[in-house]
Amino acid sequence: MGNEHITNNGLAAEGDIVLEVKNLVVHYVLKKETVEAVNDISFSLKKGRAIGLVGETGAGKTTTALSIMNLVPDPPGVIKNGTINVCGYDILKLKHNELKKVRGKDVSMIFQDPMTALNPVMRVGDQIAESVRLHENVSKAKAYERAVEMLELVGISGERASEFPHQFSGGMKQRVVIAIALACSPHVLIADEPTTALDVTIQAQVLDMMNDLKKKFNTALVMITHDLGVVAKMCDEVAVMYAGRIVESGTLEDVFNDTMHPYTEGLFNSLPNLENREAELEPIPGLMPDPTKLPPGCSFAPRCKYATEACSAKRPEPRKVSDTHTVLCTRYDDPSFRIKRRQSNEQHVS
Amino acid sequence: MSNTFLEVRNLKKYFKSARGYVHAVDNVNFSIEKGKTLGVVGESGCGKSTLGRCVIRLLEPTEGEVLFEGVNICKLNNHKMKELRKDIQIVFQDPYSSLNPRKTVLDIISEPLKFNKIMPGASRADIENRVVELMETVGLAERLINTYPHELDGGRRQRIGIARALAVNPRFIVCDEPVSSLDVSIQAQILNLLKTLQRERGLTYIFITHDLAVVNYFSDEIMVMYMGQTVEKAPSDELFRNPLHPYTKALLSAVLVPKVGGNKERIQLRGEITSPIEPPDECRFAKRCNYCGDGCKKGTPPLIEVAPNHFVACHCIGKDKNTLTLQELDMAK
Repeated sequence: MGNEHITNNGLAAEGDIVLEVKNLVVHYVLKKETVEAVNDISFSLKKGRAIGLVGETGAGKTTTALSIMNLVPDPPGVIKNGTINVCGYDILKLKHNELKKVRGKDVSMIFQDPMTALNPVMRVGDQIAESVRLHENVSKAKAYERAVEMLELVGISGERASEFPHQFSGGMKQRVVIAIALACSPHVLIADEPTTALDVTIQAQVLDMMNDLKKKFNTALVMITHDLGVVAKMCDEVAVMYAGRIVESGTLEDVFNDTMHPYTEGLFNSLPNLENREAELEPIPGLMPDPTKLPPGCSFAPRCKYATEACSAKRPEPRKVSDTHTVLCTRYDDPSFRIKRRQSNEQHVS
Repeated sequence: MSNTFLEVRNLKKYFKSARGYVHAVDNVNFSIEKGKTLGVVGESGCGKSTLGRCVIRLLEPTEGEVLFEGVNICKLNNHKMKELRKDIQIVFQDPYSSLNPRKTVLDIISEPLKFNKIMPGASRADIENRVVELMETVGLAERLINTYPHELDGGRRQRIGIARALAVNPRFIVCDEPVSSLDVSIQAQILNLLKTLQRERGLTYIFITHDLAVVNYFSDEIMVMYMGQTVEKAPSDELFRNPLHPYTKALLSAVLVPKVGGNKERIQLRGEITSPIEPPDECRFAKRCNYCGDGCKKGTPPLIEVAPNHFVACHCIGKDKNTLTLQELDMAK
């Protein structure tokens, strides 16, 4: 190796930052238009912690994840700006063969759809062993042994290593995908909607298992999801994305109990409340803006019930409300501004 | 019940497969009162969509009766059935595949009007006016009338699906996962729309979903299905306050609450839903059940009323009209 982009050898100690994304901008440049998928986002993650990237379709969650793996399809994807540092590797500057070593070893990814993520004509044991053999100098037999161990770890009997993906149900396929991702105990695991395609009871099984494995390997987890319930269960930190920007970020308590951004409030109000079924749903009016024609000011302003003229004129800048809590909203220029959810929370406390 | 609007008796739907018959819906009974909503929940493959389709005869039931205001619709001939289709409609799960991509919004919404001859002798302009009216009802802007489905997002497409269902002024709509492919903020818009329509027009719904939070919000009564059978049926409040069947309990405990510290210990279920091909005559949940005993393998448990309007099908519950057995089993652990 001995490359200047590699500052330490992928080793990370407890409490170290294992993932740092700075000022990332990713656009998809098409013939007629440019899709502004990710617009200047920054976040970092310490070893063993979990961050939830929350947002709706088109918020730029998956593009962010692909960037961390340096997998953004190019063309049309162009990373316009920013740096991504995973365990000391400057991901965006690595050459192809160096990337191959990092992917799967230091950072791996679980995709949304387990049905298409596996090779249908390869036995699942071999698929797990392949990942081990790529990164570790071990014999075929040893790698296969590890594969069987990994399968048992994710709750599938080792005897089934010689079966093909079609012989597994959806939940079990997702377990195999997780086994592959964790086979080389990566420092960072990116999970892109890992349970969206699964039933509730299976979702609970898979999430519990991921939590156990995360603790066991002390893996940092980037959980991409649209489900606030999944975030509450799995994450220590939350970043809410809207139209390619992080509109609110902080610890789980910051964002869930002390909600600041109107969009985050809207997301919570759109969810049916299990405890009070009489509560009316308050949907966010309108639709997510077209990412090829983002409004000049705050992207959420056209749907925001608190928006003023200033909101549509000026692009909001991140505002630090506490050491951990950041919000992207121009309305807080007015120190007396409160969103409704926050008001009722405060009344609740006092 | 005098106010019964729709009643389903011993409904069965078997599909032939290479390895025998798939018991997709097996002996389901329920009734709905006028203007109410029955929520049907269960995991994929439990037969909830098949049930929805059988009820409106998009699929022919293998056995059983569907009584729509006392008339058994399974016995109606094509002509009479066509008449009845004005009263019963369906909104499909996937707004991407349930709309004809080669037709405009106007074509799609006006098709049921023309096909059912709802407006005999109406001019093109009259029909267009009616379509605009329907679009307004579901919150679609008039300017979209000549667009094609591919130009619209999921939420708007689902609104077209709803407008199409409303075109014939139905009294009963089967909603088959109408919001599961939509984002949360859009999901809430569509749920509110369906609720408003129900209030204004006194519609009766069967609401099929796998999302327990949604079904709780939307339904008066909930029926939990497992492998083609009803395992529990109760008014929504009652079901969420006092779930009795082990499967319902596990299902409810698996729901993730969007709250800090809101997700306590859940009930672990072993394995996954198994194949409904020629299932043996025993409790179908037995293989995954934490309470399964020898008695559970003896025959399919009947659906018993354990409290007013609260029905459960479990060998461990209701034998002596009480629910002690499960708690005793819990204590014994």
